[in-house]
Amino acid sequence: MNFKNIITEIEKTDPEVYERLSGRREALKNFGSKVALAALPFAIGSMFQKAYGKTTDAVVDALNLALEFEYMEYTYYRQGTNTTGLINPTDLAGFKSMEAQEKAHINFLNTTITALGGIPFKPNNFTAATTVAPYVPAAYDFTMGGVYQPFDDYKTFLLLAQVFEDTGLHAIQGQMQTFLSNNAVLTQAFQLQAAEARHAAFVRHIRRIAPISAPEEPAPWITNNIPPTIPFQSYYLSEDKVEYNGVIALNLPNPYYNNGQTPQVSATAAFDEGYDKTKILSLIKPFKK
Amino acid sequence: MNNKPGALPEEGTNNGMDLSRRRFFQLAGGIAGAGLVLSAASCRRTPPSDTYVGEGDIALLNYLYILKQVTVNFYAQAVATPYYGITKEETVLQIDLRDQEVVHREYLKKILSTNAVKDITTQLSAVTFADKKSFLTHACTLEDLTVAAYAGVLKVLKNNELILTIAKMASVDARHAGYVHDILAHNSFGPLDNNGLDAVVAPLKGFQTMQQYIETKFDTSKLPTY
Repeated sequence: MNFKNIITEIEKTDPEVYERLSGRREALKNFGSKVALAALPFAIGSMFQKAYGKTTDAVVDALNLALEFEYMEYTYYRQGTNTTGLINPTDLAGFKSMEAQEKAHINFLNTTITALGGIPFKPNNFTAATTVAPYVPAAYDFTMGGVYQPFDDYKTFLLLAQVFEDTGLHAIQGQMQTFLSNNAVLTQAFQLQAAEARHAAFVRHIRRIAPISAPEEPAPWITNNIPPTIPFQSYYLSEDKVEYNGVIALNLPNPYYNNGQTPQVSATAAFDEGYDKTKILSLIKPFKK
Repeated sequence: MNNKPGALPEEGTNNGMDLSRRRFFQLAGGIAGAGLVLSAASCRRTPPSDTYVGEGDIALLNYLYILKQVTVNFYAQAVATPYYGITKEETVLQIDLRDQEVVHREYLKKILSTNAVKDITTQLSAVTFADKKSFLTHACTLEDLTVAAYAGVLKVLKNNELILTIAKMASVDARHAGYVHDILAHNSFGPLDNNGLDAVVAPLKGFQTMQQYIETKFDTSKLPTY
């Protein structure tokens, strides 16, 4: 058994293994010769447990939150694209693409979570044998207790789509701190987030222009903390934040204005925000069965 | 602000040039900085020493900062000389794009402080701003590159606090990307892979891609990449 080789092998897939094991590189390379041979397996075991165990659980948990959104969005879009006459024909291709991309995200996240040794999230009432997986309409109440009829009215369908996409972004954003512990997953989280942000922009833009022309005139990005309708204000709280790492975005200069200042709408729209898991789950609870 | 884009005219609320003249310059194939085009074409100057971008996190942040300078200049020119047939909504959103990119540019500049690179001269003559398709095609290139660049620095960027803020900016830039793709070709979302994921570009490759829009040459010898 060659400890140095084990570390070298791990280093191939995790270049930060030495940092993770919180020791200096050379010290670790000499580790084998300094520990009594009989004690080595225990020493290694506890070392890896400490380095990878807890953080991997947290990463899986964070990925599962993203996966929960993907199931909800996929099911929502699939139900929408399969409802004849609901979606404006000029937008249908876009929604079908989003549906396919959410499905791809479900598969991707299932694979990643399993590879990390975790158990992938499953929606309520998920029964693979009787369901066209991953389509799980039995898991959701998209009427929010009878308040909305998204599959009867395109405007309502778009309204909830915007809420789901923006909230999904808040969810991923809120888990970035956790993803920091695994660089490969962090990068994938950025890639996933970017795809979802494209979806959000698509939906919001359709709502802005004719024939929808939503009264709050949504841009593809979130301006201040403006919700699509007042009942969804809590889904956009803190989106008007302007301070990051000690820099106040409002005070940054903008040479294209006579006063040389950044408009508040730009300072707030230039950054998306994250919510913690508890808040995210409370926001989507009304849509779950 | 002392960070005046080199290839752009001073733009106030009204730079005095009427629309038809602005468009003339567009159709003439150059951006408004005609002097820049001339100097590039007439004689080969001895290049000044390349601008050093620094090393480690500073080099990576300068890379993003330079990309933001390009994007700001690009949208500023688009606002100054809008494409034919632009709608009222597109005009408003184009100003939004410019101003959000200014926030990102100035944010990175502030974080970089004295380490921020100076004297960037953009080269946008490949863009015909009067033509919607030309403008949007380049907008897609720049926004897609920005999104991929953010994801691409994570492997080598050390400062976790900055990564968390960059994540918030990356999400907004992906909204930009989605929007410009959509108005170029409705229902299209850009370069997502088979997993439905956005792209990643390694820093050096990203740098080389954005160089097509920049006249300034850079010393990227210490830029972390992989």
